[in-house]
Amino acid sequence: MNVAAGMVQVAGIALAPLLPGSIQTLKARLQGRRGPSVLQPYRTLWRLWHKSAVDPQGTGVIYRSAPPVVAACLLAALAIVPVAGRSGSFGLGNDALVLVGVLALARFVLAAASWDTGNGFALMACARELMISVFGEALLVLALLVAALPAHSTDLLAMSAAAAGGHIWSEPTHWCGLIAFVLVILVETGRQPIDNPDTHLELTMIHEGPLLEYAGRDLAFLQWVGAARHWVILVLGAELFLPHWGGFAVSVGQLALVVCLLCGALALIETEQAKMRILRVPALLGVGCAIALAGAGMWIGGIGV
Amino acid sequence: MAVLDWGALAGVTMLAFGGALGATGRGLRAGLAVQAEGMMILGVVGVAVLTGGDVLGAGFRSSVGLAFGLDPLSGFFLAVLALTAVPTLIFARDYLPGSHGARALAALTAAFLLSLVGVLAARDVIGFLGFWELMTLVPATAILVSRRDREVRSAVYAYLAITHLGGAGVWIALLALAYHGAIGDPAALAAAGAGAQTLVAVAALVGFGTKAGFIPLHAWLPRAHPVAPAHLSALMSGMMIKVALYGLIRVEFQWLGGTPQLLGLALLAIGLISSLGGVLWALVQHELKRLLAYHSIENVGIIALGLGASLLFAHAGNSTWAAIAFAAALLHVANHAIFKTLLFLGAGALQRATNSLDLDHLGGLLRRMPWTGGAFLIGCMAIAGLPPLNGFASEWLVLQSLLHVALHQPLGVALASGVALAGLAATAALALLCFAKVVGLVLLGQPRRAECEAAVDPPVGMVVGMSLLALMCIALGLLPGLVLPTLAGLAPGANGSVLARHAGLILPGTGSYLPLPLALALAALTAALIGLRGKRRAAPAPSWACGQPVVAELGWSSAGFTKSLRLVLEAVLRPRREIEVVQSGGMVQSVTYEGHVPSLLDTSVYEPTVRAGLRTAAVARRLQSGNVRTYAGYLLGLVIGLLVLVYAGVLG
Repeated sequence: MNVAAGMVQVAGIALAPLLPGSIQTLKARLQGRRGPSVLQPYRTLWRLWHKSAVDPQGTGVIYRSAPPVVAACLLAALAIVPVAGRSGSFGLGNDALVLVGVLALARFVLAAASWDTGNGFALMACARELMISVFGEALLVLALLVAALPAHSTDLLAMSAAAAGGHIWSEPTHWCGLIAFVLVILVETGRQPIDNPDTHLELTMIHEGPLLEYAGRDLAFLQWVGAARHWVILVLGAELFLPHWGGFAVSVGQLALVVCLLCGALALIETEQAKMRILRVPALLGVGCAIALAGAGMWIGGIGV
Repeated sequence: MAVLDWGALAGVTMLAFGGALGATGRGLRAGLAVQAEGMMILGVVGVAVLTGGDVLGAGFRSSVGLAFGLDPLSGFFLAVLALTAVPTLIFARDYLPGSHGARALAALTAAFLLSLVGVLAARDVIGFLGFWELMTLVPATAILVSRRDREVRSAVYAYLAITHLGGAGVWIALLALAYHGAIGDPAALAAAGAGAQTLVAVAALVGFGTKAGFIPLHAWLPRAHPVAPAHLSALMSGMMIKVALYGLIRVEFQWLGGTPQLLGLALLAIGLISSLGGVLWALVQHELKRLLAYHSIENVGIIALGLGASLLFAHAGNSTWAAIAFAAALLHVANHAIFKTLLFLGAGALQRATNSLDLDHLGGLLRRMPWTGGAFLIGCMAIAGLPPLNGFASEWLVLQSLLHVALHQPLGVALASGVALAGLAATAALALLCFAKVVGLVLLGQPRRAECEAAVDPPVGMVVGMSLLALMCIALGLLPGLVLPTLAGLAPGANGSVLARHAGLILPGTGSYLPLPLALALAALTAALIGLRGKRRAAPAPSWACGQPVVAELGWSSAGFTKSLRLVLEAVLRPRREIEVVQSGGMVQSVTYEGHVPSLLDTSVYEPTVRAGLRTAAVARRLQSGNVRTYAGYLLGLVIGLLVLVYAGVLG
C-alpha cells in the first residue's frame, strides 16, 4: 500500500496544475462566463517551456537558481504530505513541523530572488507576503496543534488516522481546527479575500509579484510551484480536517472528491468575496488563531458534546 | 584523568601566555595563535568531560576557598566556547593588526576568554563571582580601548549600570545558596524551606537573566554589543550571554531542590516576550550589528522557552520529554553561539571592506566578496531557522517541546504553551522576514555606494574563521541527532540513555526530522531540475518598472521593506517620524525626513526611571548646599535627635 500511496504522491506532480485550473473554470462558470478550460495551466506550462528566459540586469546566481530550488522544496513537501492516510517511503519522514520548515525555505529563496532583481514590484509583493506569513505561520502551527491533539503526535500519518471516521466530528475542537485551517488554505494558496491571483496590476500583487521578472522555463517552474502549493495545502486539509474512512482505495476516492469540493469552495469564496484591505488581514488571521486556541482548550479541558 | 587535568592546565596557561605575547605588539599574531591553540585544547578537554561523563578536578563546595573543576555541563559550555572562540581568534589574527589599540585588545581577548573559562570551571562562590565580574568588566574595558567617543562611553555606562543593578541578583542567589550550604547540593536548599528556594529562584532569574538579555532587562545588550570590535562582539553575543544561561541552568535546574511549575511558566512568559520582542525590534533596525544584537535577545528567548518546557515536563514527571526539551535548549545554545559568532565576524569583515554597517549603504556584496558573502548567507539562513541548517534543528525541537507540553499537560499550562507555540512560530516567520531583508540589502542587488563597488574579500585568516563557522552550521544542521542524546543526558533526572543515537531527530510523538536525507533530496532534486531546464537561453533585460528608467535612488530600503509590518504593529512599535519642510517665497526649498522606531521599553520603562532617578538626585543635592552653617545645623540636629532617642529609652 505504501508503494501505491507513494505513486499517488508522485502523481501529485502532474495533477497539481488541475487544482488552480479547475478553480478558475468553476469561478468563471459561477460568474456567468465560459472561462478557460480546466487544462489551461498545462497549456501555459507548455507555452512557457518553449520560450527563452530573461535575465534582468545585475542579477546573479540567486536569481537563476531560485526556480529549481523552490520547485525542489515543493517536491519535498509533496513527499512529506501523506495521501489517504499513507505515505510512500521517501525517507524524509512525515512530520508536520518539518513541512512548515520546508515551505519557509521556499519562501526565503523566492524572497532572496526578488532582492536579487531589485525590482520594486517584486519586493513590494514579497514584503507583503512575508508580513502575512508572520501571522499565517502562527495560525498554521496552531491548526496543526489542534490536529495533533487527538493523535498525541505531530506525525502526519498518525494525525490523519486520528481524524478518520465519524466520531471526531462530535468534537467541537475538530470544527475549530477546520475553521482555522480554511484560513490557512486562503493564505497559503494566495486566494481572495487575502490575495487576488487574477490581478494584472503590479501594485496589488502578492504571490504573483516575485514571479514578475521571470520568463520561460524559470516561470514554468514557478507556475508549477503555485499549483503544487494548492496540492500540498488542500491535500493536507483533507487529510487532517475533512471526512475520510475505509480502506486505501476508498480513501483515495474520498480524497479526490474532497479536494474537488475544496476547489469548488475556493471558487465560491472568490466569487462572493472582494479582496480585503491588506492591513486588515492580520486581524482576520488573529481571529483564526483565537479559534484554534479555543479549540485546543476545549479538547484539553475535556469539553465535548 | 591525569591527561585531562594537565590538558586543562596547559590550555589555561597557553591562553594567559598568548595574551601576554599579544600585548608585546610584535608577537600579536603569534599570541592570538597561541590563544587559539589553548582554546582548542580546552575544547578537547570539554568534549572529553562531556562524553566521558566524569568529573574533573574539584566538586562544588559551599565553603570559601578557590576550587576549580569540570563536570559534563561545564564541559558542554566549554566545548561550545572553544568551537566559537577558535575561529574567532583565527579571524582576529588578520582583523586586529592595524586596528586601534591592537596590542591591548589582544591581551584583553585572552583575559575575556580566561574569565569565561573561569566562570565555567569555578567550583566555589568566590571564584564564580570573581570571574563573573571580570567577565562583565573586561569587555567594557576592551570597548573603551577600541573607541572612546561619546556614544560609546554612554553605551558602556548603560551596560555596566544595568548589568550591575540586575547582577546583584547573582550575588544574592549564590550567597544565599552558600549560606544554606546548597552549592552542589539540592537537598540542602530543599531542607531550608520554600522561602529560601523562592529567594534563590527569583534572584537567579533576575541576575542571570539581566546578563543573558531577557526582556525587560535587555536594554544594555543592543547598546554594548554593536560598539565592540567585531571579534569581541562575536564572543559577547555568542558566548558571554550563554555563560549567563549556564549560571541560570546551574541554579534553577541543579541546585534548587525542586521543579516548581511557576518557574517553568515564568520562563515560558519571559521566553515568549524576549523572542517576539527581540525579533520585532531587530526588524526595525538599520544598522547591521545592532540588528544582530537584538536577534541575540530573540534567540535567548527561544532557549528560555525550551528550558521552561523542560521544567514543566519535569514537574509533571515526564522525564523523557523533560530531557528532550532540555537538550533542545542546549542545542540552541550551541547553534546560536555558532551562527551568531559567524554573523558578527561577517559584519566585521563587511565593515572593513565597505566602511559602513548601515543596511541601506551596502548591497551587491555576494558577488564582490564571495567567501565572506557565502559564509554570511549560510549564517543568515541558519539564524532564520531554515532547514537543513542547524537553526532549524533546534527550533524544531523547541517547537516540538512546546507542542508536547500542550498535548500532555492540564488546561492552564497547555494553553500557556499553546500561546508560546504560536508566538515561536511567528518569531520564526519574523526572523525569516528580517534576514530576507538583511541578505537582500547586504549581499544582493546593486551596490548602493562606490565603496561597495570596490569591495574585495578580506585576508585569508578572516575567511578561514568564517568558513569554519559556516561549516559547523551545516554539520550540526545535518547531524543534530548525534549530539542530542549526550545533551539529553545532561538534564537533571535523566536516567542514562533517554534517547537512542541516530543521525536525524527521531523522537516519540513526532514524525521525525531527518535533515541528512532532506538535504540530499533537495540537492538531488535541484540538480535534476537544473538539468531538466537544460541549456539556458536568456535575454538580458532591464528590470520592470512600468517602462520608467530604473534608478538606484528608487530601490528598496530597510525601512521600506518592513513598512507593512510596521503599519500592522503600529500600536506596539510606535514609530516616530519627523518631517521638516523649509519653504521660502511659497516654494519648498528642502524636505528632511527622519524616522526611527525607539524601543518600547526604553521609552516606557527606562526613560521614566532615569528621569525619576535624576529628579531624586536633584532633591538630594539640595541637602549639599556647601554652606558650613548648614552642615553645623545638620550636626546639631543629629545630636539633638540622638539625645531625644536616648531620653526616650530607644537607644541604650
